[in-house]
Amino acid sequence: MKKINTMLFRMITTSKSQYIAVLVIIITGLMVFTAMNIASINLTTTLETYYTQSRFADLYAKTVKVPQQEVLNLSKIAEINTVEGRIVFDVPYTTDNKDERVNIRIVTVPLEDTGINNLTVVKGTYIGQSARDILVLQQFAEARGIKVGDEMDIQINGVGYLLNVAGIVASPEYIYAIENGQSLIPDPKAFGVVYIPETLGQQAFGYQNSYNEIMITYNKGINEEKLIDTLKEELAPFGLQRTIKKENQLSNNLISDKVASLKRTSNSLPIVFLIVAAIMLAMMIGRMVKRDRIKIGVLQAMGYSKGQVLLHYAGYALSAGLIGGFMGATLGMLLAGIMTSYYLVFFNIPLFKIDFYYVYVFTAMLISAGFCALAGLVGARGVLKISPAESMQSEAPRKGKRILLERLPFFWKKLSFSWKLVIKNIFRNKKRAVFVLFGVIFTYAMLLFTMAMPAVINELMVKSFTEFQTMDYNISFRVPVNDRVLRDFRTLVNVDHIEGKIEYPFELQNGSKTKAVPVVGLNKDTSYYNFKDGNGNKVAIPDEGMLLTQNLANILNAHKGDALKIKTYLPGRSDVYVTVVSVVKQSLGINAYMNIDYMDQLLLEKNAITGVYLDSKDQDIGARLAKVTNISTIQSPGDMKKLFDQYIGLTLYSLVIMIFFAGLMGFVIVYNATMISVSEREMEFSSLRVLGFSKGEIYSIVLKENNVITVTGILLGIPLGIWMTQSSSAFFTTELYSLTITPTLTIGIAAAAATIAFVVLAQAATFIKISRLDFLQALKNRVS
Amino acid sequence: MIKPEYCSDIAKTGGAMIKNVILRTENLSKSYQMGEIEVKALIDTSFEIYEGEFVVILGPSGSGKSTLLNIIGGMDTPTDGRVFMRENEITAFNEKQLTDYRRKKIGFVFQFYNIMASLTAEENVELATEISEDPLDIGQVMIDVGLGERRDHFPSQLSGGEQQRVSIARAVAKNPEILLCDEPTGALDFTTGVTILSLLKKVNREMGKTVVVITHNISIGEMADRVIKMHSGEIFEILENKNPIEPERIQW
Repeated sequence: MKKINTMLFRMITTSKSQYIAVLVIIITGLMVFTAMNIASINLTTTLETYYTQSRFADLYAKTVKVPQQEVLNLSKIAEINTVEGRIVFDVPYTTDNKDERVNIRIVTVPLEDTGINNLTVVKGTYIGQSARDILVLQQFAEARGIKVGDEMDIQINGVGYLLNVAGIVASPEYIYAIENGQSLIPDPKAFGVVYIPETLGQQAFGYQNSYNEIMITYNKGINEEKLIDTLKEELAPFGLQRTIKKENQLSNNLISDKVASLKRTSNSLPIVFLIVAAIMLAMMIGRMVKRDRIKIGVLQAMGYSKGQVLLHYAGYALSAGLIGGFMGATLGMLLAGIMTSYYLVFFNIPLFKIDFYYVYVFTAMLISAGFCALAGLVGARGVLKISPAESMQSEAPRKGKRILLERLPFFWKKLSFSWKLVIKNIFRNKKRAVFVLFGVIFTYAMLLFTMAMPAVINELMVKSFTEFQTMDYNISFRVPVNDRVLRDFRTLVNVDHIEGKIEYPFELQNGSKTKAVPVVGLNKDTSYYNFKDGNGNKVAIPDEGMLLTQNLANILNAHKGDALKIKTYLPGRSDVYVTVVSVVKQSLGINAYMNIDYMDQLLLEKNAITGVYLDSKDQDIGARLAKVTNISTIQSPGDMKKLFDQYIGLTLYSLVIMIFFAGLMGFVIVYNATMISVSEREMEFSSLRVLGFSKGEIYSIVLKENNVITVTGILLGIPLGIWMTQSSSAFFTTELYSLTITPTLTIGIAAAAATIAFVVLAQAATFIKISRLDFLQALKNRVS
Repeated sequence: MIKPEYCSDIAKTGGAMIKNVILRTENLSKSYQMGEIEVKALIDTSFEIYEGEFVVILGPSGSGKSTLLNIIGGMDTPTDGRVFMRENEITAFNEKQLTDYRRKKIGFVFQFYNIMASLTAEENVELATEISEDPLDIGQVMIDVGLGERRDHFPSQLSGGEQQRVSIARAVAKNPEILLCDEPTGALDFTTGVTILSLLKKVNREMGKTVVVITHNISIGEMADRVIKMHSGEIFEILENKNPIEPERIQW
């Protein structure tokens, strides 16, 4: 090894704690980069492979009833590759727990599963010749402990069928097994899918030689809209209700969102880490160059060029970049495997396809080396200013000048000597102080933001279910009924208040933008919803026209006064235009709201309702309504709590990681900046030691400096944290949630406490280093 | 570029021996701006150094001797005047040529040794030889400077005198044409100082290196072939020493 490199190596070993601290930041950043990128690619490719292998449908058409022959005729349409019909119905599933309401989706499958949306048999076998063989979706089977060979009692149209579980299956359609667009997260215990033989389905549902859903695959590159128009014409006589494109298929839509968000995080988070590492390296090297002025002069005197010396120092950062990049990428690869398999299990993808993309190792190393080399050159640029002759002379003392606070004698005179030293030092080393300050601000803001999340989600739920919607129970029917049913409810339950509702999916179109959403019809004077516009003004349900939620208005680019087309597939109904009366705020869900009478008249039938909202003091609503087979879901305040707990359970893991990252960053920044400060000021501290200051007293000066910066950092971090949480609302806002995050005082205090804890930890680590420093040695020697 | 006469000077003592000029300065001046005051560190300085000479530049603090050494060593540039190393005008050199000049032609020895704390004695020497074209055998140089047994020691394990030996070994091992020594005994006690001077004399005599020592110590002048005396940035006397004494006989 060249001796100049030996020097570099020993330079690294003498500053190993700081070097390791920077390495940790780089490694963490690049581990996240590699792991998440590879995981997201693995997930995407596995998904694509799975979709291809299982022949995932490109398009779905839901109809009232379509003859088998008609489905076969559709295959003659040029754009269509394959077509398959099936019968799909949701039915209640009775369990031993009377209060529990479980829905299962019955889907018919052919005897030979060779068509579209092929199932993967995880356990057991595919259905055989027996008409009583069924297949159960894996998530549901696992959640309810259903095993191959078990018998399930399923009620279809009032008739009980005792069916035999032949196999447990996974389906590309239910990777994310969610019941409908209104469900926030999968609840595999309450919703499942059961596949039954086509013959049994046709007999049980009364669909001899006919279906109610068609799945289509088509050749790539065709005009999808044109095909949909053709289907509309072809299927109009059979009660076409809606068509769903692959991209809008619920499970695929949600999983694509997850992958996209993983990809976003994988590229943005590491950059933050690398920037912090780069700033730290630049500062450390800048300090070394300053300290090594004579050494640099001597090297030049010996005949080393400025470029060689510059590279020697930049090499310190570059080595960190390369080592950190390599280790980060390697660990990232290992983590990618774990992450991918976690995701594959989490999403129930029955394929195990993990590839390692070595290109990411190189990319990670390249990015890391690039960032660090740049930081090294910036930090070492001082080398260029050092001339060998000047370096041999002792450096002129820094120009001392009074800081602003000294001009306030009233304040300044009251300070003790050590406090004066502390304040002067902060102002004299502005760059370092600003860096530490940013470190603390960043840490605090990150912690505030992270810690605010659970509370925000809680508030979101509470606000949605107590302020925006105020009903005790939200009950949905399987099929629309006449509102006379309200009277029946009054007899079954002790009703305090009851209102009928309509909730029906329609496709809304504004120009080229379309979105299928549940349109909700409410009583004109509903007491269950509190609509407010963007300015917080109350909005009432209009007689005519509709209210759009803000997120829907954004998707459709619709404004107050715009007339939107509502596409209907209902027989005898044509598309209508409805004016947007107001845009309202809604945190949870995406909807349009109308007057129930207006909606019935415009889109459905007079007095039709698809569910009820009711208030009741009865605790056993579920049991009381158990016999009402037309009820598909009952949502109660308890469900809200359950939902929240589930959601928090899912996000807790990532919150803990975020807190760890924030703390790590804060720790490293404070630790390294303090170490830089201490070694820059060895002479000053040595002089103080000679004057009679103890190590403890000197440490307290450093401590005070950090404390002043920490407190200032926290104070400045408050607005930043609030801004960060609010502006990141957009990041976390999906079509289902729109979050407005404002942290509370308690969270602010908790985040401050956590920040202080990390700073204290960093200071404790520096104390060990400081107490080991030989201050008196600093006064003695001039060895480079 | 004016080509200097570098090998035709006859010693002013009238001797018949022809001495080759290895280094020559012409009307060298250097001034610094310190605030509003212009400090003249060197004023119109001209002199020559001959190949194989042991020259002492003598002067009190602030006489401009270090500035002179820095300029002839290619570490600093003059405000006016020229410096020639044989036929080459080093004052016309660019940054790269100056680096090359320092690398190949000059060996520096500093008052405070300035050796690298993180390298052993031998590694310090290697640091210099790695960039030179025709280095001497490191092992031999280490023995020559009396550090044969201490080559694997770090500077913190060496005495001041030993550290200065490392510094000399580092300068010599590059096999430069001139050794420029800035107060080489300034940080050492008398006895150690004398051993260092002996070493420099040995380098001059046995290795044939031209040695230029700057010092404020008048006694050291007694061992030189020539003494260039400076005061307030000017050379006021150049003395030829017909009978230079051995360093061991110097007293201060």
